[in-house]
Amino acid sequence: MASVCGTLEVAVWRSASGRVAAWVDRCPHRGMRLSHGFVRGEMLSCIYHGWRFDGAGRCRKIPAHPDLDPPETIRTQSLACLDAQGVIWIASEAPAVAPPDLGNVVPLRSLTFEAGIDAVAAMTGEVPDRSLLRLDAHGPVPPLVLLLQALGPGRSAVHALAAPTGTGALVAASRALEDFRRRTEAQGIAA
Amino acid sequence: MRPTLYDYVLSPSCYKARLMAALVGSELESVAVDFHPGGDHRKPEFLMLNPAGTLPVLTHGGLILTETTAMLVYLVRLAGRCEWLGGEDPASAARVQQWLAFSARLTASLGLARLHDMLGRPADIDAARWAGTLCLRELESALVENRLLGEDFLAGNAPTVADVACFPYVMLAPDGGVSLDPYPAIRAWTRRIRALPGFVEMPGIHRLHDLRPEPGEAEAAA
Ligand code: FES
Repeated sequence: MASVCGTLEVAVWRSASGRVAAWVDRCPHRGMRLSHGFVRGEMLSCIYHGWRFDGAGRCRKIPAHPDLDPPETIRTQSLACLDAQGVIWIASEAPAVAPPDLGNVVPLRSLTFEAGIDAVAAMTGEVPDRSLLRLDAHGPVPPLVLLLQALGPGRSAVHALAAPTGTGALVAASRALEDFRRRTEAQGIAA
Repeated sequence: MRPTLYDYVLSPSCYKARLMAALVGSELESVAVDFHPGGDHRKPEFLMLNPAGTLPVLTHGGLILTETTAMLVYLVRLAGRCEWLGGEDPASAARVQQWLAFSARLTASLGLARLHDMLGRPADIDAARWAGTLCLRELESALVENRLLGEDFLAGNAPTVADVACFPYVMLAPDGGVSLDPYPAIRAWTRRIRALPGFVEMPGIHRLHDLRPEPGEAEAAA
């Protein structure tokens, strides 16, 4: 899938065995977006000419030259990447610190907001519990962890995790997040 | 005698009928209509068949259907594959109807944006894309909730006409400048549909590459 790390466009993918990798979203061949490619087994194939890359980003097969063992120098540009607690963390340089321990939570869902990360962060100030409880009609909402990701100017992603709880409460939490998005985006329009 | 589909290969609505027939294992006669650039759907002979001048049209014996959702239901019943109509309890049946009606909103928003971008149809493109985005958000949320309940498809745990009705315009949203990147649950759902037995393609909508044999390794896999 396509994602963003700072100003870098990134392709993130998971192999059949579950290994996660994040690369700059450009094929070393002709620059096609690798996020348009497809995963088969432990390799990602570029959609354009089918060059195949292993989890470490090294080119392993060039279909136009089936007998060639591709030189080791043909590689994608890899980012630091860590899969923990249902969250994939990426960094353009090896980070000095490990991602935070999020506590006892399970992934709920990711939403894209048509609002910059600062606007979303400002709104989260009023999120915890009280405003979410406005949605009590759908059942009580469990505590949520929201991870904010800048996707560009005026755009961000919110990755939500919830304390493990019943299905009904998770559905309510999902609806609360939509309500939060509507209010955040409305703020932007009002501003 | 097989039903006859008046068909245009690039039309997502025509594709719905082809896909439905393929998924229930039926065959259709196909009559190609030159929608673009010919505009044959606006010509008198075609209007005799469908005064609305829309594609597709499905005829079978004396029956003439011009609404795609009706065609899907007809093809399913004709094939005796009524599991594609969803459960019979009131809630299940209503959920299917809900998404069939919703599919018309996809056509009016994402479909319009696509016609604008591909064929230059006049439209308020920002309004069409935003309406499409709101539809996709609604769909994404419903699919998230379904997954929380352990359901893989729009109206429960098995695919129905509702999935076939909604899938094409969603899958082709990028043709109208609306990305599917923000919708992980939708992307997972489209993958489940593209992996169904009998699935057929249209230009811009492909079978899962992951399930195809590697080029040059077809014999080994066979
Ligand atoms: S651009 Fe990726 S294989 Fe050619």
